[in-house]
Amino acid sequence: MTRRLIGYIVIGIITIFVQKFVDNFASINLVSPQLIILFVVYIALREGQLFGMGGGFVVGIMHDLLVTHFLGFTSFVSVIAGFVAGFFYKESDVELTARNFNFAWISVITLLASEFAALPIIASGELNFFYVFLKFTLGTTVYTSVFAMIIVFINGNKSRYV
Amino acid sequence: MLKWVSEFFSFAKNYIIFALLLSLSFFLISTNNNIHTRGLQTIGLVTTSYLEDGISQIASYFSLSSKNKELQQENAGLIDMAAKIRRALTENDQLRSMLRLRNESATPLTPANVVGRTSEDGRYFITLDAGENNGVHIGDPVVSGSGLVGTVFAVSGNFCLVRSLLDNDSRIAARLVNASADGIIVPGELGNLEMKNVSRRYGVNKGDLIETSTLSSLVPPGIIVGVVTDAIDETGNIFKHIDVQPAVDLSSISTAFVMQYSRPKEATELETKTAGSKK
Repeated sequence: MTRRLIGYIVIGIITIFVQKFVDNFASINLVSPQLIILFVVYIALREGQLFGMGGGFVVGIMHDLLVTHFLGFTSFVSVIAGFVAGFFYKESDVELTARNFNFAWISVITLLASEFAALPIIASGELNFFYVFLKFTLGTTVYTSVFAMIIVFINGNKSRYV
Repeated sequence: MLKWVSEFFSFAKNYIIFALLLSLSFFLISTNNNIHTRGLQTIGLVTTSYLEDGISQIASYFSLSSKNKELQQENAGLIDMAAKIRRALTENDQLRSMLRLRNESATPLTPANVVGRTSEDGRYFITLDAGENNGVHIGDPVVSGSGLVGTVFAVSGNFCLVRSLLDNDSRIAARLVNASADGIIVPGELGNLEMKNVSRRYGVNKGDLIETSTLSSLVPPGIIVGVVTDAIDETGNIFKHIDVQPAVDLSSISTAFVMQYSRPKEATELETKTAGSKK
């Protein structure tokens, strides 16, 4: 477990810096893929809801501290992501859930839930709530899903679709 | 009771922790403007700024090639623009001096553009877009704002061919202004002119001005031809060797005037009569 934990910490730190890079270079009209959420979904599917929420909170705080400089926001979204993704955790079939095509649609559901929950914070001061929903909630979900699919294809387990 | 609490906690621990973590996140969000949180944010900012600097340097290294290409293209554009500006300045200078000449000249002037140049085997002709329709005749002198260019050699309806001073067959009577000595201007070496038939007894200095002579039957007197660049007394020669730099840069001239000049009829008739009576 300790080795796995160290592995998660390393991957988490890398994800934060890749997220920073992606925010700078792959952002489309302020919408960027949420790789941190994908990471949280992954650990929640591998280790369970509690671990997903805890890990999401820690990685979110670090991301806020080092990248967004708006403390609490990413941790809030990541905790929700860990909570939602944790419902799909299957102790008996960890590898299958975390690595196959399920990962993509679980990510989509998690992203929709977490980004929707963050909508009041994102849309604060914005009169056109529906526009913010379309742009940030749906936009971020779709954009991040593309990256989720890439991860699935890289893992090469498409045929094990359940 | 304790058992019930313990069971409840083991059943609802995920929800309780979820609520706790959410509350903590909300608390952090609400303290973003707090002075203590600002300190924390500053630490994060300083930490990432070093990293960002490193990343931007790496990114800039990879974009150097395309940046270099862009700069090369921009440089080519600027060179082209500089050439255009230089050409425009030269043309502006020429036009200004021509305007001055036009205002001062007593002889009617026909403006024309240089449309062609021929320089081959000692021939140096310039084609102008003014011809018989504009009142141009064979033998008319051609000038620019800086001085004499040559004389009209051939003429068609709308164009004329000018024999420049650098042409091998060009001979123009000229006068050294300071020395008051007359001579003949012929083409020299390397795009320069030479003044012949000036006696060694005249004092000629570098920089002396040369203009067309009153003795010339082709061009009116007083038009600048060039300046002396060198004057040598050669052994065994009664004449000086005088190198002249032409007043007009024939390689860059773009506009010129054709002078509708004809020598006073009386003088020509008198000279013809005198020559006839001698025979």
